[in-house]
Amino acid sequence: MFIQSFGEWLYDTPLSTTFREITWVIPAVQSIHILAIAVVIGSALVLELRLAGLIATDEDPGNVVRRYLPWIWKALIVLLASGTLLIVAEPARTIGNTVFWVKMALVLGAYLLTLAFRRPMLASPVGNVATPAKPIAFVLLLVWVAVIFCGRFIAYT
Amino acid sequence: MSLETTLQQLYDLPISSTIRENVNAFPLIESLHVLAITLVFGTILIVDLRLVGVAAHRRSADRLIRELLPYTWVAFALAVISGSLLFISNAPAYAANVEFQLKLVTIVLAGINMAIFHSTAHRRIADWDMDLPPPAAARVSGLLSLALWTVVILLGRWIGFTLDVLF
Repeated sequence: MFIQSFGEWLYDTPLSTTFREITWVIPAVQSIHILAIAVVIGSALVLELRLAGLIATDEDPGNVVRRYLPWIWKALIVLLASGTLLIVAEPARTIGNTVFWVKMALVLGAYLLTLAFRRPMLASPVGNVATPAKPIAFVLLLVWVAVIFCGRFIAYT
Repeated sequence: MSLETTLQQLYDLPISSTIRENVNAFPLIESLHVLAITLVFGTILIVDLRLVGVAAHRRSADRLIRELLPYTWVAFALAVISGSLLFISNAPAYAANVEFQLKLVTIVLAGINMAIFHSTAHRRIADWDMDLPPPAAARVSGLLSLALWTVVILLGRWIGFTLDVLF
């Protein structure tokens, strides 16, 4: 299998070995990963609950999107970078794991949904609430929760 | 009754052995714990950044706090409940773990910081509710809160690497 031989090659690279030998690297990168997912969850919570009409209904939805969407993009970059380091450090635990790929599919889904249904709102004029945002709001929040569960289960499968 | 016997009694509870023996119980509770922590940190982050001087989705600091704090408290309750379940499953090992002890101390410090904010700067919030940045006392509270909760997350992750127990 290509993935397996790639994982073995990656595991033997000096960088991968170094990450594992310096004991604080993996917990430190994992902590950054959790802090970044907290930024996504906090931003997505306020953003999606606003679009679902459950909080801050006196605030313009476009302004709420403009406030929180850039934070989601920035946190996703940090997640991608820290996640990549964790793959380099422990290839078998990640790319050799089905739960990891389920998680990646969910992240891609959340990204595409946000890109398709939230990014256009950045340009929405003040006072425009015409978008049917509610079902997607709950789907997005559920997908992010599922991502967190998959993330933790990677360690056990 | 010594602390050791209490910890052992917690360890011996039927629910504790269920968590230890059921392969999915520990990761499920742990996932809930991580979800709760991301909700606590994510909502507190928005409030803390507003206190530091970064604009939130609304200008009024007081309304922002009253809007988001209920979510923080529900998530914190979930974190305490899930954390307690993880703790009793291996009570003696967690109690002896330095990172776990420091994590509890840091949570208490974050609580004290919050109590000081609510009894000082927050009392006069009507004077600075719309100010951006807020007065120095509020900015210090926000910065301290951010730092302390970041340390809580770091210590929490370190427990997973230092706990003297393997399942």
